[in-house]
Amino acid sequence: MSSIKHHPSRAMLVDFSAGNLGTAESICVSAHLHFCDQCRNELMRLDQVASKLMSEAEPQIIDEDLFDSVMSKIDALPECTKIRKSDEKSEFPYPVAKLIAETKSPLDWRRMSSSVDVARFHTGQNKYEVALHRICAGGKTPHHGHNGTEFTVVLKGSFSDEQAVYSEGDFLLREPGDEHQPMGAQNGECICLSALAAPIKLSSPLGFLMKPWLRINPM
Amino acid sequence: MLGIKINYSDDNDETSVRPAVVSSEKRTDQWSVLLVSVGENRDRKAFAQLFAHFAPLLKSFAEASRHEGWFPGLSEDLVQEVMIKVWQKAAGYKPEKASATTWIYTVARNCRIDMLRRKSNTQHLPLENEDFWHEPDEETPVSLLRQKRSEDKVQASLAQLPKEQDEILRKVYLEGKSHAEASEELGLPLGTVKSRVRLALQKMQILVAPEFREEIL
Repeated sequence: MSSIKHHPSRAMLVDFSAGNLGTAESICVSAHLHFCDQCRNELMRLDQVASKLMSEAEPQIIDEDLFDSVMSKIDALPECTKIRKSDEKSEFPYPVAKLIAETKSPLDWRRMSSSVDVARFHTGQNKYEVALHRICAGGKTPHHGHNGTEFTVVLKGSFSDEQAVYSEGDFLLREPGDEHQPMGAQNGECICLSALAAPIKLSSPLGFLMKPWLRINPM
Repeated sequence: MLGIKINYSDDNDETSVRPAVVSSEKRTDQWSVLLVSVGENRDRKAFAQLFAHFAPLLKSFAEASRHEGWFPGLSEDLVQEVMIKVWQKAAGYKPEKASATTWIYTVARNCRIDMLRRKSNTQHLPLENEDFWHEPDEETPVSLLRQKRSEDKVQASLAQLPKEQDEILRKVYLEGKSHAEASEELGLPLGTVKSRVRLALQKMQILVAPEFREEIL
């Protein structure tokens, strides 16, 4: 059984099932699903609701030529219609593995503080900075506040803050005004996926000096 | 618009045609059988039957879209794209996990979003929507085998929802409005929208464990 305690809200799952989430949010929900049977199960039922709505809608008249047009396109397809395989086994959820495969390997880790490294992804949207954060074992991150929404999914290891311990698969939502000080677990590094809508703000009196380093780059 | 209920239901087909197999784990409704045949045998006749049934529904789904940037001319493009994908991906369809109708809905949903993203975006998009639905290649958990039964329930209760709950579900699923957009459009507080969706889902008994998820309003 999974030990996941923190899940996306139901509204978020419904929007995911309906296809109404942006790319960055979808990456995070999808990463959570990789670990969470419970939410996968619920989503399957949400998809059923959607499909019933679709199948009860009033059928629309289809142009007579459309079927032939589809068949001729199908005939023109290249022969190999392989089902996609997960090419290489990755320890990460599929969209993350695909984003990693798209970046120059190895990942471009940049030091953010003495205990946190960041690797940013290009995802083709401009609302959130999507990145991996790596906290070293026992690493203490600076106490900070959030200016915008942040989604975080723990992909490996665990970390804690003043409220709880978060482990693999846990899905966290931070909202503007939330403050905390995450700490890496003692027993190993922790890797998280995050989508950040606005730069964080360090709580220390000299925090403003760090501002240029905290700029985000949604892409 | 939804007054007449034509019996397109997978499950009724199943009970009326092959009552003996209902208890088995195999999905034997008409559309799922056809879809399997397309996947296994590249069966064009089966595909033509699927097309005749689903293309008009897909067009209706496409026309319901109220996404920014969507226009009616895209509807037949979407139907084509979805049906081509259905042909291409049919070999990966697992009837024990979902009915053909549900499976085709997921293809349509993913196509619709990708069409919209491609339209509104000139930069390279590293991910397609179906990437978010990538399933781990593992054995089907026992819990999924119960999906079949849950589909019967969903079918039965959609028609019994109060109007305001039905309306919200349609906005979210067919028109493609997020909870936040729906709340703005209907002039209702976000919390009301969320609770109507939740009540509808509860009524349809599709919530696996209503207690485990905190409702963040």
